[in-house]
Amino acid sequence: MICNTSIESSTPAIQAARLVKRYRSAVRPVLTDFNLTVGAGEFFGLLGPNGAGKTTILSILSGLLLPDNGIIRLQGLTYGENRREIQRKIGIVPQEIAVYDRLTARENLIFFGRLMGLGGMRLKERVKSCLQIAQLEEKANQRVSSFSSGMKRRLNLVIGLLNDPSILFLDEPTVGIDTQSRHLIHQELKRLYRNGTTLLYTTHYMEEAQELCSTIAVLDDGRVLLEGPPGKLLEGGGHLNLEELFLELTGKQIRDD
Amino acid sequence: MRKILTATVKEFQLLVRDRAGLLVLFLMPAILVIVITLVQENVLELSGQRQTEILMLDRDQGVFTASLCSYLQQAQVNVRKYGSNQEAEFRRLIADGKYQAGLIVPAGTSARLRQGMEALLSGGKGKSTRKVSAVESLQMFFDPAAMAGFRAGLLVRLQMAAKAAEMEMMAGQLEKILAEQLGRIQLRVDPAHIADSGLKKAFSHTFTRVVEQTSPSGGPSIEDIMNPVNQNVPAWALFGIFFTAVPIAGTILSERRSGIITRLLGMPVSPLQLLAGKVVAYLAVCLCQFLLIALIGIYLFPHLGLPAFILPRHPIVLLPIVVAAGLAACGFGTFLGTVCRTYEQASTLGSTLVVIAAALGGVMVPVYAMPHLMQKISLFSPLSWGIDAFLDLLVRGKSFSAIVYDLARLLVFSAVMVVFSWRRFAR
Repeated sequence: MICNTSIESSTPAIQAARLVKRYRSAVRPVLTDFNLTVGAGEFFGLLGPNGAGKTTILSILSGLLLPDNGIIRLQGLTYGENRREIQRKIGIVPQEIAVYDRLTARENLIFFGRLMGLGGMRLKERVKSCLQIAQLEEKANQRVSSFSSGMKRRLNLVIGLLNDPSILFLDEPTVGIDTQSRHLIHQELKRLYRNGTTLLYTTHYMEEAQELCSTIAVLDDGRVLLEGPPGKLLEGGGHLNLEELFLELTGKQIRDD
Repeated sequence: MRKILTATVKEFQLLVRDRAGLLVLFLMPAILVIVITLVQENVLELSGQRQTEILMLDRDQGVFTASLCSYLQQAQVNVRKYGSNQEAEFRRLIADGKYQAGLIVPAGTSARLRQGMEALLSGGKGKSTRKVSAVESLQMFFDPAAMAGFRAGLLVRLQMAAKAAEMEMMAGQLEKILAEQLGRIQLRVDPAHIADSGLKKAFSHTFTRVVEQTSPSGGPSIEDIMNPVNQNVPAWALFGIFFTAVPIAGTILSERRSGIITRLLGMPVSPLQLLAGKVVAYLAVCLCQFLLIALIGIYLFPHLGLPAFILPRHPIVLLPIVVAAGLAACGFGTFLGTVCRTYEQASTLGSTLVVIAAALGGVMVPVYAMPHLMQKISLFSPLSWGIDAFLDLLVRGKSFSAIVYDLARLLVFSAVMVVFSWRRFAR
């Protein structure tokens, strides 16, 4: 596990209280009375089987989805009153590779950077820095359609970093990529954590969560079953690794929904 | 073979499970065939073979006009008489395209015809002093947007009806003269006497002619504006412009599929700004489309033996129509992109709806040639608003103020579509 050297602020980075969400087509709510607090500078991992509500929580917390009920505060701000301010502070890395295939890597970064309100030298610097992080400087002017999936994933990640966010939401950012690209993404996430960025991320890779996260929460049926630093969670139960603990909590039955 | 079969089965499974797509695939062609058939049902009217209604300013009020109306009725031309002192309103109704044709019968036509006939039949020996060769002119006005086939067909029917009315009058006159002469000669008919009476000459003489007048509003000459190019260029340009709806819908659907919309909605930008970006870009495409088609009409058509597309004196007046039509098309594209779930749905639904709107709007068959029900439905087609505006400026020679209502309708349509899409886009 890695350590964050920054001083924690007293205001939590993310606070969700009594969240309720039911989709129109669903028989029962995805979330009922869901509560979550993520401290500033934490690397928080949301783990859970399919249908546990991970993506729904991430979408609600990042302002993409409205809850039916409940309160959300990001660094003390609410979406109702400070949507634009929150959007300038956060970064989102969706599960899909959300980039324009027919644009080059640089054009994608410039486009999204401008929408984030960047311009002039600041935009230039951020684009350069993001290309370096993703190790795509040499391919910057090539169309994304010619990229491998690893290159696309790296670009997908750095677009979320363009505005230098203080809170970063990541939905399975390393799914389906080569080892080298995954390693590079891990290194970058660790660097962000060390620099004080709050990270909230979902994954199905237990060893990745164990390696990266300062805190994890295991979810099922829209409820938090267990929460704490991975080391502490493993201490008490005598489990060898996070996967063993996870299977004990959520069962071995296949979840297809 | 087995692999082809496997692939075929898979495609059927995919098709059957895309219910909305299937609905579009079957419902749209069904609607298309109904609409196009109905639209073309009255296409024979273009060649003057179907029921038509014309306006008549009857200043004559005599037997000739009464007879003319009756023969016109038999030739499937309904005559709607208009007050003889309302020529300005009569001209306006035709210039505005409310009626495609109008006829003015001058005052005293019946009386002069009777005198001329008397003079002819009596071989100049009668009491009439009228010159035998005088021809009465019936003035015919056409909506400048009426097609050439329609004009020619209607003119033929009018000339035939006028000739029949003349013959009826002539028969009356002849009966009168014969009765007088037979009475005088006490039933001793001398064929040479009849031949001398000028009967042959009388029946071969034409007393009336239908004269086609220039534009009822006094605009450019019919020869200049009455070419199919001036009607087809704007009509088909509009058709092309509305087809940009499909690629716009495609970009929205591809952004949704790839998760880009998720990313965009998390950024400090309003969905309306994102939609506006698309509308502006595709509006530029629409302007280029119109420019290209207009240039083809102006420079290429004459080389192909076709008349050239004639621009109005100030071509810039066409710009607001192209912009308004482009905005309407882009708005429709954003609507499709937010309502449909797949590109296949959007492309099928989009293209079919554009073809239907074009058919209803008068791109393929003029609106006045459609059955009455279809004419009423055509009022709801944005293409009809665009075409109306183009015809008013290019063919009817009207001023800019005449197209303001059509422009407003296109802009309101665009706004409604974009606002609806905005609400759905943000979900």
